[in-house]
Amino acid sequence: MTDNILETKGLTVTFGGLNANDSVNLNVPRGKFVGLIGPNGAGKTTFIDAITGYVPMSAGTATFAGEDIGSLKPHERAERGLVRTFQSLELFEDLSVRDNLLVAAYPTKWYSFILDMLYMTPKDQETEDRVNWALDIMGLTDEADAMPTDLPHGRRKLVGVARALAAKPDLILLDEPAAGLDTAESQKLGQHLREFLDHDMSVFLIDHDMGLVLSVCDYIYVLDFGEIIAEGTPAEVREDPAVKAAYLGAEAGDVQAAAAEAVVGAQSSGGE
Amino acid sequence: MSSETTDGDRLLDIQNLSSGYSGVPVVRGVNLHVDKGEVVALLGPNGAGKTTTLLTVSGLLKVLDGSVTVLGDPATFGAPHKAARRGLAHVPEDRSLFFGLTVQENLRLGLRGSRSAQAAGYERALELLPALRPLMGRRSGLLSGGEQQMLAMARALVGEPKLLLVDEMSLGLAPIIVERLLPIVRDIANETGAGVLIVEQHVHLALSVCDRAYVMSHGEIVLEGSASELKDRPDLLEASYLGGEVSA
Amino acid sequence: MEAFIAAVIAGIGAGGVYAILAVGIVVAFRGSGVINFAHGAVAAYAAYNFDEIREPGRGNIYLPWVDPIPEWGVLQKLRLNNLPVRIHIMEDPPTWLAVFVSLAMAAFIGALMHFLVFRPLRNAPTLAKVIGSVGVFIYLGAVALKNFSNSNRNDAGWWGFDSTSDPYVIPFTDKTMPGSNLWLAGSALVVGGVLYLFFRYSRFGIATRAADENEKGAALLGYSPQLLAGLNWVLSSVLAGIAGIVFLHKTNPSQISLLVVFALAAALIGNLTSVVGATFGGLALGMIASGGVDFFQRDFWGEGVKEWLPADGIRQFVPLIAIIIVLYTRGGKLPVRGSISVGRQPQAPATNNATVGTLGLIGIGLLVSNIFVSKWESALTTSLIFMLFMFSLVVLVGYLGQISLAQWSLGGVAAWTTARLAADGMKIREFDFFANGGPNWPLLLAAIAGVVAAVVVGLLVGLPALRIRGVQLAVVTLAAVVAIEKLVLRNTGLMGEGAASTNPMPVLTIFGSNFGGFNENSNQTDNWKFTVFLIFMVAIVGVLVVNLRRGRIGRRFLAVRANERAAAAAGINVSQTKLLGFGISSAIAGIAGVMFAFKLSQLTSENFAPLIGLGLLAFVYLGGITTVTGAVFGGLLVAGGLNGEILHLHFDGVDQSAINIAGGLLLVVNAIMTNGEGISLVNATAGKEILHGLRRDPIPPDFPSGTETSTADSTVADSLEGAVV
Ligand SMILES: Nc1ncnc2c1ncn2[C@@H]1O[C@H](COP(=O)(O)OP(=O)(O)OP(=O)(O)O)[C@@H](O)[C@H]1O
Ligand SMILES: Nc1ncnc2c1ncn2[C@@H]1O[C@H](COP(=O)(O)OP(=O)(O)OP(=O)(O)O)[C@@H](O)[C@H]1O
Ligand SMILES: [Mg+2]
Ligand SMILES: [Mg+2]
Repeated sequence: MTDNILETKGLTVTFGGLNANDSVNLNVPRGKFVGLIGPNGAGKTTFIDAITGYVPMSAGTATFAGEDIGSLKPHERAERGLVRTFQSLELFEDLSVRDNLLVAAYPTKWYSFILDMLYMTPKDQETEDRVNWALDIMGLTDEADAMPTDLPHGRRKLVGVARALAAKPDLILLDEPAAGLDTAESQKLGQHLREFLDHDMSVFLIDHDMGLVLSVCDYIYVLDFGEIIAEGTPAEVREDPAVKAAYLGAEAGDVQAAAAEAVVGAQSSGGE
Repeated sequence: MSSETTDGDRLLDIQNLSSGYSGVPVVRGVNLHVDKGEVVALLGPNGAGKTTTLLTVSGLLKVLDGSVTVLGDPATFGAPHKAARRGLAHVPEDRSLFFGLTVQENLRLGLRGSRSAQAAGYERALELLPALRPLMGRRSGLLSGGEQQMLAMARALVGEPKLLLVDEMSLGLAPIIVERLLPIVRDIANETGAGVLIVEQHVHLALSVCDRAYVMSHGEIVLEGSASELKDRPDLLEASYLGGEVSA
Repeated sequence: MEAFIAAVIAGIGAGGVYAILAVGIVVAFRGSGVINFAHGAVAAYAAYNFDEIREPGRGNIYLPWVDPIPEWGVLQKLRLNNLPVRIHIMEDPPTWLAVFVSLAMAAFIGALMHFLVFRPLRNAPTLAKVIGSVGVFIYLGAVALKNFSNSNRNDAGWWGFDSTSDPYVIPFTDKTMPGSNLWLAGSALVVGGVLYLFFRYSRFGIATRAADENEKGAALLGYSPQLLAGLNWVLSSVLAGIAGIVFLHKTNPSQISLLVVFALAAALIGNLTSVVGATFGGLALGMIASGGVDFFQRDFWGEGVKEWLPADGIRQFVPLIAIIIVLYTRGGKLPVRGSISVGRQPQAPATNNATVGTLGLIGIGLLVSNIFVSKWESALTTSLIFMLFMFSLVVLVGYLGQISLAQWSLGGVAAWTTARLAADGMKIREFDFFANGGPNWPLLLAAIAGVVAAVVVGLLVGLPALRIRGVQLAVVTLAAVVAIEKLVLRNTGLMGEGAASTNPMPVLTIFGSNFGGFNENSNQTDNWKFTVFLIFMVAIVGVLVVNLRRGRIGRRFLAVRANERAAAAAGINVSQTKLLGFGISSAIAGIAGVMFAFKLSQLTSENFAPLIGLGLLAFVYLGGITTVTGAVFGGLLVAGGLNGEILHLHFDGVDQSAINIAGGLLLVVNAIMTNGEGISLVNATAGKEILHGLRRDPIPPDFPSGTETSTADSTVADSLEGAVV
């Protein structure tokens, strides 16, 4: 039996008659990189919303690290190491980039405010190091003191990823981190994302940049109208006719997939 | 298609433009034009200044130097609604949807012209983006990222614009939608004679539908040419993305 | 039963006026995102004019300002022309003309508010807009007082809005109500209906909402956001005018401006955006309040309950509960996706050690000056107490972003509880009218219990904040203020004999020496020991609040303020964090309230009247609500504080309404000029900029610095500046 960090069984989310997620069974094995793709409005973001507690599940179960998390509040799930980013940025706009990360990095207790007020809260080097590491890996060190609103759109997305990293996740859920990045930036991001796996993390990625998804994921699920219509390795998914019809299209997918191939080829030096 | 045009056909004419934020120029010396019935791509890496250029055209940023002529009149900084009333539609990078309003209400605000023209524009936009039909009554803030992008496109199209600016058209869209949307843009230009300026990260797809393209880097136009020229020279494109001045 | 039904139905009269006012508030909110606390004041101003022009033998109207050039002194000698204020229309005008002129005046005020106040504030934080409207409220009230004098005005009314018309027999009962009640309810329905249709079937309504939510988007589609906002302001003010002149036969115009609390509540039921909701909300509130009073005053409750639930309290409390339930069930613990964002917030920089040091020096300076200038004693202690109080707003409003108007009332709860628990049924001083009965607790213990009581009530007030956000929360807390005053502070059943009038305060004795503010020898509040005591209190609490911002919790407060959804994703328990903020803030407010009580020999509920809390919020905002330094400035500026004392030294005989007019204007100007960051922060930023300028290397032309203070949004906003057709 494999060790799954996240497991959903029959996960269903309903918005007044519309099944945005319909009996989704999806596993993320520990230490692996799993992707979720699908057409617009298929329910991908809703899936992340459901397992992180932002929308209620109407049926099914979600298990994180062996624990049923269905009844936990969003912040409790985050504390347990299930950390997400948002498709729509959602940064703390009046905190600097570094403070954005520090908020997520430092845990607090009920009595923390007393320590704070007496100025007795110890500085925790390990946490500071983690924040610096997260800034560094996302290439944000130079912008650490900038306000998020002063950064170009693409970099703001990366602040979101860095903030999630700072929270010490066991599983990080990324919702379209590459949207708006150019091809070069997106490839660079892909390499960094793979590095996460070396830091005791599992990664769950949603993105429409096929070049990125096909090159970094170990396993991919495809969602359409709330249901899983295909799953498998990148190569399998790419050739799946149902996926082509619903999502990839004839040309666009191929062009991007070709780009992905070039990257994968370059990385594994042997290539095809 | 692009070369021999009279001045009456010139919908957008940017000459030697500098513009930026709080008086500090971010783009410099930009020359760019869009004619009737043309689809023009504005390409370039992140932070190149593409969005800045578009914002200046619609009057949201100040022209610091040079000139911008939109649909026959100079760009009106401070009154973006004036250019819009002349027939300019701009899908901005952040989409600027009205989250509190329904999809239908968002679309209704984009309508322009006589009643029959409005009805026609409305139907046409929905034909092009059928995915929006079932979503009419939904509050637009609830839409998925891609649905929002489609709505922003549709809202620009229902007004049957004479000049259309689209910033990051494929942002958050599924490949299959991107693949369909680009030819649609082409058709609109062909049929209505509208001029289109699109900013795209999918370089190859953009080149497959546009007439001409400009590549911008570090605030300057570093490469321009017809689509076919550029398609044949990927090496030039790559070099231009990396920054240097390139001669086609 | 019959009487109860009759009471409920009779409520449609007042309900009708709430409804018309509420609809006006909705229109302004949709047009510009401003909750207009001055809406009632506009109504009152129109009503005053209506009354004035109809006054036999006068026939004047007054423009909404006063003549700043006095009839005496140097300025008069210079023969400057006075600013025109009074316009003579005609004596005994026909009713239609009086109505027209009054409504035109309202429209004019609406246009002025748009151009001078809210248009410049359109990109400012929510709080700045609240303060702007409070400024208008204070200003208009004071101008009205000056122009129309406060003589008892009795306008019999007009048409059916008439106090002399025949009473109307309520169906199914043998009770009657004034005939004008039907007219009031009817006009509410007409106004609501017309506006509903107008907004429903013209694009104006949707475009208005669109432009308010996303100015850039609307402008790109060809709408002029400022034109839309301006038209809505005019429309809203005309509605206020209508409400004012139809209600004139029932009340004095000066009371009309206070109806805004009910109107805001009714608008909330319509979610601040629905005309229909506001109309029926207003009618329902009028009926609930009227029925509630009848219900709780019934004999079967027994004397005990009747004594504990004063009628006035019920009138305020029942509607409050109704709104909170409506709003609470509507909101979620976290905002749903695509909720309209809270918008920009004022910066909240951590105070550094240098600033703390400077403040310490100021404190020492005060201590020293205090020894030499004993004349200031009372003003100084007032300033210090309000500083202390303002720290509570820095925590709650500045750091955590929860706009609560109820904090000063919590100070009142603490003060009252202390007085009650420390009392022993004996007169404290010879001149006391009453002796409070009480358990005779030691004063320190009673004071601590008072602070605990403030925290408990504060947490109750904070509960709605778990699901109600932003400016809506502000309105709920305003309703809570009124309820606390009527139900707790003025409640003799709960707070003893003194509650209704004056509450004698025990003497603060430390080591056998009087440390209270009241000096038994001089019979004045000039005990220097109290000043010293306060300076230490302010210093201690100030440092605690500074430290809070620098720590982990402070950062979490700011995160919740910025984005609740993201905060939860960062592992923050948003509900708990909000309650923590309310708790800390209420404790500080409680301490300040107790200090206020220690200062005076007798307290009255006037000391904690609703508008004082609003004024204090305005003053701390003026100083800078996000920093402790700002609170210190705010405390110095406060009316009755040091600033006022200095003014008095130099300008003998300035009257209160002149001060209010200036104060109102100052608030508005400040809200606009400082962009919501207050005096202290503007200075700090300016200082930083200068330093920065000295050190700055020239920016390399092709790498615009990403840390430039302006953002795309502000540039876009600037560009929309001129977007008026
Ligand atoms: N609260 C809600 N109420 C009603 N419908 C909703 C709600 N939230 C999401 N939806 C709808 O559910 C569907 C799934 O949305 P979701 O955001 O999960 O799509 P997605 O797969 O992430 O798409 P994209 O790739 O475009 O981001 C969409 O049609 C959306 O409009
Ligand atoms: N509000 C702002 N204030 C200051 N500088 C800005 C602002 N917005 C953008 N810039 C800077 O202007 C430059 C050009 O930005 P612009 O958004 O035009 O690039 P772009 O080509 O659209 O990039 P992308 O592909 O990432 O959208 C960038 O270096 C960016 O940092
Ligand atoms: Mg999504
Ligand atoms: Mg851009």
